[in-house]
Amino acid sequence: MAPGRSDLAGLEKQARREIGAAETPQALVEVRARYLGRKGSISGLLRSIGALEPEARARVGQEVNAARDRVEAWAGERDAVLREGRRERQLRDHRLDATLPGAAQSPGRLHALTHVERHMFEFFHGLGFSIEEGPEVETDWHNFGALNFPDDHPARDMQDTFFFEGGQLLRTHTSPVQIRAMTGRQPPLRFIAPGKVYRPDLDATHYPMFHQIEGFMVDEQVTFADLKGVLHAFARHVFGPETRLRFRAHFFPFTEPSAEMDFSWGDSWLEWGGCGMIHPNVLANCGIDPERYQGFAFGMGIDRTAMDRYGLANISLLFSEDVRILGQI
Amino acid sequence: MRVPLGWLSEWIDLPERPEELAERLTFAGLEIESIERSGADLSALRVGQVQSCEPHPNADRLSLCTVDLGSGEPVAIVCGAPNVAAGQRVAVASPGTTLPDGTRLKKTKIRGVASHGMICSERELGLGPGEEGILVLPEGAPLGAPLPEVLPSRDTVLDVEITPNRGDWASLLGIAREVRAHYGGALRLPECQAREDGLPASGDVEIAIEVPEDCFRYLGRVVRGVRLGPSPDWLAAKLESAGLRAINVVVDVTNLVMLEFGQPLHAFDLATLRGRQVRVRRARPDEKLATLDGQMRELGPEDLVIADAERPIAVAGVIGGAETEVRDETTEVLLECAHFHPTRVRKTARRLGLHSDAAYRFERGVDPLGLERAVDRAAGLLAELAGGSVARGTVEARGAAFPHQDELLLEPDHVNRLLGTELSAEEVVELLARVDVEARGGLGGRLRCSIPSYRNDLEIPVDLVEEVARTFGYDRIPQTLPAAPLATPAQPPRHLLELEVRDSLRASGLLEMRVFPAGPADDADGLRLPPDDPRRRSLVLQNPLLGDFAHMYTSLVPSLLRAVRHNLAHQVERVPLFQVARHFRPGGEGELPHEPPVAAGALTTGDHPGLWHAKAPLLFQVKGIVERLLVDLGRTAEFRPECDESWLHPGAACSVWLGSKRLGALGELHPAVAEHFEIDAPCAVFELDLEPLLAEPPPVPRYREISRQPAVRRDIAVLVDRDRPAGQLLEALRRTGGKHLMSVELFDRYEGKGVPEGKLSLAFRLVLQRPDRALTDAEISKLIDRLSQLLVRRFGAEFR
Repeated sequence: MAPGRSDLAGLEKQARREIGAAETPQALVEVRARYLGRKGSISGLLRSIGALEPEARARVGQEVNAARDRVEAWAGERDAVLREGRRERQLRDHRLDATLPGAAQSPGRLHALTHVERHMFEFFHGLGFSIEEGPEVETDWHNFGALNFPDDHPARDMQDTFFFEGGQLLRTHTSPVQIRAMTGRQPPLRFIAPGKVYRPDLDATHYPMFHQIEGFMVDEQVTFADLKGVLHAFARHVFGPETRLRFRAHFFPFTEPSAEMDFSWGDSWLEWGGCGMIHPNVLANCGIDPERYQGFAFGMGIDRTAMDRYGLANISLLFSEDVRILGQI
Repeated sequence: MRVPLGWLSEWIDLPERPEELAERLTFAGLEIESIERSGADLSALRVGQVQSCEPHPNADRLSLCTVDLGSGEPVAIVCGAPNVAAGQRVAVASPGTTLPDGTRLKKTKIRGVASHGMICSERELGLGPGEEGILVLPEGAPLGAPLPEVLPSRDTVLDVEITPNRGDWASLLGIAREVRAHYGGALRLPECQAREDGLPASGDVEIAIEVPEDCFRYLGRVVRGVRLGPSPDWLAAKLESAGLRAINVVVDVTNLVMLEFGQPLHAFDLATLRGRQVRVRRARPDEKLATLDGQMRELGPEDLVIADAERPIAVAGVIGGAETEVRDETTEVLLECAHFHPTRVRKTARRLGLHSDAAYRFERGVDPLGLERAVDRAAGLLAELAGGSVARGTVEARGAAFPHQDELLLEPDHVNRLLGTELSAEEVVELLARVDVEARGGLGGRLRCSIPSYRNDLEIPVDLVEEVARTFGYDRIPQTLPAAPLATPAQPPRHLLELEVRDSLRASGLLEMRVFPAGPADDADGLRLPPDDPRRRSLVLQNPLLGDFAHMYTSLVPSLLRAVRHNLAHQVERVPLFQVARHFRPGGEGELPHEPPVAAGALTTGDHPGLWHAKAPLLFQVKGIVERLLVDLGRTAEFRPECDESWLHPGAACSVWLGSKRLGALGELHPAVAEHFEIDAPCAVFELDLEPLLAEPPPVPRYREISRQPAVRRDIAVLVDRDRPAGQLLEALRRTGGKHLMSVELFDRYEGKGVPEGKLSLAFRLVLQRPDRALTDAEISKLIDRLSQLLVRRFGAEFR
């Protein structure tokens, strides 16, 4: 049966009342569904138009559509009012003291030397240097012999050494990693070797454990000039773009020529480490032909870099176990 | 080594500014560690002579002096020093002079008598504490001369660090040569001639070298009629300026010549040598020698000695014997000038712990052609200063020939290839000539380079390249970047793993620490390790520096516990620490130890839970850290309540497993261990061996299509016996839930009011979902029923 006008008017009136009575957006959704949803009553009226006379169809259709649009508009208005009210309540009722601390876990911290090491890795990684590690307890051969320290030579006094029974020792520098990395490999070689090293020495600038980073490059035409270039670029990476570097002649058994380098720090020069062209005996000790290949090597303490960065006057602060210190650096 | 510049300038012309010289030498490898000067500028002070010295008319303790300042008009000065006397040469500050302490002198009246200046003491001159009274200058000090000119011992002194390859630098001569290499000029050597007189020395003593490989040469001279006494002031002053003490004229002369030429000398009282013999031989077993320093030295066949016919009289190259040393009665002196094998001297010096100036030089090598010069210089000086006469001829014996590289062949291009320079052959020749290396053109463009006798460090061509670089200047070598093929840099898995571990532990709120990896012997007992625990075996440092911290760590736990104790003792209650380091597990005979990577941490939280956090028991806090670590590493680890670590509380610990490999353990500290390490607060610890993680890389997570179908949440709450580990129920639900069980979570655990005695309430939240369609009610009920039945059947669970 086709709906009459009064039916439509009643429905519309009832819908308007119910929309007005809906107190929450959820209740409004339900009211809307009852009238306008797929199974809603106004939607039902529209579906029943098909049964009307053709001339009545257009007229009734228009009336029902108009009523549906009105109900739709009332529902929309009511929804806006309800949402507005809810927002206002949310804003009014939820008040926190934003000066209270955040609930995040207290932050941990990487060691100052870990930061410095990583910063240094970045540079050499970019230049294609591989990382190599070695044992901290070493043989005399790797720590001294293969590096061209003759037995019973005053050169051995340059590095005080911790010994174990049987002649093993705590490595005094990262240079033994050179031997381990080169032995069994053939150039071209490009490595850095970071790590802990040990010497029995204790004062404001010496601790029996400290850290070095070693680097070396071997190929047919690697020169001392290349060494200077690489170290200068590295110094600028570590200490800033204005950094200058200078080289002083020095003696190491495992390099020839050998140098020590200083970097500029404000108005002064600070000692950074040692470097040079790898001694032919060292290459030969690793099975690399020194007639054909040549290369540079360098090594520097990185503890000093960390001390400068964090303003530490005494190296032992780096090896503190005190939370009040570790939490700062 | 101390190098007084005044003395050095007698040998070679120096640049005006010591700083300039120091920098140049340092860049050439002769490192000047510091420049020492007498503190203040004393050039305004003058040398004066006290002509008369009378008591002050109005004061008991003062003297009234007339002082001649060389101007011909003596001045009156009142002096309060007890040691002032007529005839002395003294340091005078005239009115208008400012003293080192800032005092400006004025003409003044002291107790009614005018005083025209001041006679100064060492302290007033800033020359040190000084002795009581005024400074008395040498008799020869010229009147009116500026004071610095007559204070040679107060000269500017370079403190020089000599690298072990350059024994030749351990002398004034060597330093002068290095100066010449950079500034040019001519060396001015002192007189090195001994006027001989009387019978030949060979009649006085006979020399024999019994071990030719230990002693290349032994040269002696005899000086007769010596009168022992103090050295003249200039000699004493020179020695003092170089840091040596003046002893007597004979010893002082040997020391002077050693400082000048780097050749150690020794003086024997010839009359005390038995059998008039000198034998260079090894010590016999159990031989003893009383040495100059007043000690009795036990010697053995490894030690080279100088002996007479019967007994050792000196440790060769190291120290002389007491019985044969020169003394007041000595009239005949045997000067020893020898060349001992560096290694032999070094071994004995090290064994005796006697690092004498002589041993220092022998170890580094002396100039084999410098012996005559040194012994003649010393003999000549003795004749001059001690009134002796030098016996005719020398006495000597030779051992093995000293191995020395006389000539090296160098391709000029080798220099450029290695340094990256573009030096011509002529430039190379010129640069080498500066260091006394004479290079001449040879076959195929190679340079024949003759090596000076004093350079035992130039052994292969590349050593000459360094000489070229040094004299050319390192800073003039160009700076380039190497050309190299691109290559993928390798990062060892261990290195990457340690990076990730550190990042995760840091993100869990822990602070990284690094410590010296050795502890005291009783750490193993402190951890209550069983007698057969492998961690009881550790490597032991023979020469520990930090007290008894000699045992290389086989566990990082003790170092963490010491750190916890330190912090608690300093009122830090919240101690969150970690380390990533190594264990040192002793290897087999002759093998290096195994050094696996290890991560360990310790946690105390104090009483205060913080503003927002409910406080979980410490075990779960530390377990959470380890769980997160393993998730961060992409691993699925298993935590088993079975844990037999002796250092953990048996009721609050678990072991951590990766498949069948045990990674380590975590838990709260055992009370006895806490007591040993003096930790008086709840503390949890973990230690994980990272090595098993290196055996295979973590599985790369594969993407799983997310379901578009609705997920269904169902909660199950059960009562179980209080002792029942909840993890078992959780695990059983996970294993049997089937493929539509997306997750299971234990969200509540409760005992107490409302739960029967001895029981525990556990509540699980299950999330169910299918990828292809919505689950039907029937499917859901069926699954929940099955899981509920499982809990009942296997764990005796009751539903509430």
